[in-house]
Amino acid sequence: MSLSARYARTAYLFLLPALVFFTAFFYVPIANVIATSLHTGPQADVFAGLSNYADALADPSVRHSFLVTLGFSGGVVAGSLVFGLLLALVLDQPLKGRVTFRAMLLVPYLTSVAIVGLLWRNILDPQLGILNRLGLDQQWLNEHPLATIVGVTLWQTVGYTMVLFLAGLQGIPETYQEAARIDGASAWQRFWRITLPLLAPTTLFVSVMAVISGLQAFGQAYIITNGGPGDATDLSVFHIYATAFKTRDFGYSSAQSVLLLVVIVLFTLMQLRAGKRGEVTY
Amino acid sequence: MTLSRREMLQLLGASAVLTACAGAPPAASQGQGPGTFTVYWNAGHDYQAYRKVIAEFEAAHKVTVNFQKYQWPDLRTRLLADFASGTVPDLVEEPGGWVQEFAISGNARSLQDFVDKDGAAMGFPADWREATVSRNSYNGQVYGVQLHFTATLLVYNKQMLAEAGVEPPTTWQEFLDAARKLTKDGVYGTALNQDHGYVNPWLMQNGVRVYDPATKEVLTPVDQAVEAMRFQADLVHKHKVAPVPVSSTDYSGPQKLFSAKRAAMIITGPWDLGPIRQTSPDIEIGVAAPLTGKELATNAAGVSLFVPSKAARPELSWDFIKRVTALEVEQAATKEVGMLMPRKSWAELPEVKNDPITKAFSEALAVARDSTEEIRLTGQSGRYDEALKVMYQSVVIQNEPADQAVAKLRETAAGFLK
Repeated sequence: MSLSARYARTAYLFLLPALVFFTAFFYVPIANVIATSLHTGPQADVFAGLSNYADALADPSVRHSFLVTLGFSGGVVAGSLVFGLLLALVLDQPLKGRVTFRAMLLVPYLTSVAIVGLLWRNILDPQLGILNRLGLDQQWLNEHPLATIVGVTLWQTVGYTMVLFLAGLQGIPETYQEAARIDGASAWQRFWRITLPLLAPTTLFVSVMAVISGLQAFGQAYIITNGGPGDATDLSVFHIYATAFKTRDFGYSSAQSVLLLVVIVLFTLMQLRAGKRGEVTY
Repeated sequence: MTLSRREMLQLLGASAVLTACAGAPPAASQGQGPGTFTVYWNAGHDYQAYRKVIAEFEAAHKVTVNFQKYQWPDLRTRLLADFASGTVPDLVEEPGGWVQEFAISGNARSLQDFVDKDGAAMGFPADWREATVSRNSYNGQVYGVQLHFTATLLVYNKQMLAEAGVEPPTTWQEFLDAARKLTKDGVYGTALNQDHGYVNPWLMQNGVRVYDPATKEVLTPVDQAVEAMRFQADLVHKHKVAPVPVSSTDYSGPQKLFSAKRAAMIITGPWDLGPIRQTSPDIEIGVAAPLTGKELATNAAGVSLFVPSKAARPELSWDFIKRVTALEVEQAATKEVGMLMPRKSWAELPEVKNDPITKAFSEALAVARDSTEEIRLTGQSGRYDEALKVMYQSVVIQNEPADQAVAKLRETAAGFLK
């Protein structure tokens, strides 16, 4: 056996545990979900062909939950980009205590969505919550439920987005800013013409991750609103969960999962394409 | 033979892969081996009376009871995953309705052979109220045994009603009048639950049938269903005698407002009495008979026990059921937390007859009916439940027109009940 073949064999042997892990816990379950999506009945044991897919595409409740999810994802993406970048710009300045602020903003991200959900559920309760006890007469969970869970999600994740933008900001060479300053560019012009274009890879990464996590969101609807009031926060994954575990139709819920997977892959590809077009170098 | 370092690494890697690929040994139940008896239980029903039964059961059978406690939605998620994997618990407590659902789907084991053998000695079904046997049977076979048998009634704060000069209401109109008088100074006359399960007493009191197998329609007569929904929405949005409920998985909202003395009357069952007594022992609780709309009625509820069809040791499961449903255990649980029980002989116990609250609930069981049994027997109760939630919350929380919301629910239900 040649030396390169021996190296290759060794490399594959080291890769094997990871491959086994991913095969066992990702690829086999995905294949299982695809197989289940072709069946129907409480035990998902009756072959149904593609009828679950046809039903899902024609089901108004599936369409509604997808629109709710798009609204949620749009809010999370826009909020992550705007607030994450704003916070990064502020905390990139030589402020006193900025390290402490950065750490404080990151803490919610390190907390589980269940804890965050319960925390905000108790804060926002219109009757017994802290906000109303402090005199704020709010009914956000009833009047603006989707916007409220978007806000809670942003509160939890914006610290992480900020860290990503901070890393991006610190990767921009100071010489560009200095040259622009000497040329008489204003702060706004420097931000618009130098900082923002050079942050494009970070912006792309943040938006791709936010879209993926937004389309996959579940805990917010499950813990805070239970998908309600009515079906106002019936996010796609929550709808899939309810189809599987409440109405007990695993075949139908699997078909919806596969469709969601396709949507996520398409969104990601579209974003990566758009991001590549927007990349700049100086 | 000597191995080089690379060959040694390759050997280790290969053995690790083989170990990872090796299947787990087959398990009798829940993977804890033959010495473990796994029970899924509701987190709110962990009573001392049942702990004593567990200790006796463990001593008698030389097993360790793996007593796993869940909230109902989590218990269902876990159980359905277990059914799919084939690794099931030995015994399950369910919230009412699952026994027939799982009997239809083949996931629950018929207990008829055990009932035929031991029923007379334990008093089953003779000593159980009739409704509790039928709601746990399918195709003439018993699949579950009722553990608690409850009903929802009007629970009120005696002091608040006395101070407002209000008698406990008996009709919807009296209820509305009382709530109006009691609503003042940050206190609401009543509080509705965000959980759609609490809609059933209102529907029943207005003469609404949840499902008619002959016509395959839900919520008939429609105008009476709309009227019942509108009455509840009006309590919140028009008369403002109840706060707007908030959608969540928590059904203790009204109880918390009652305990905080922010609501004077709530419609609930005995499960809320313990938390009220615990958090606000100074509240003097009153319990009134079910309200009368077009008729006097309330819904029967309560939990049952069943054995999954793939449970490895059904005879042990049956023995646990016998022990935990014994009259003296029912008596101890009632004494401990005031829970209502399904045995007819339980209603004759001094703990029941001498306690005004337990007695009021016990008497209400006579008019309590299981309003959802007919829809459960279609095997589509899960779908109906989801559609009902959307309808209930859109009317009571979001104040959408009741006639449109009921029509939408009926249209959705027609799709899966055809």
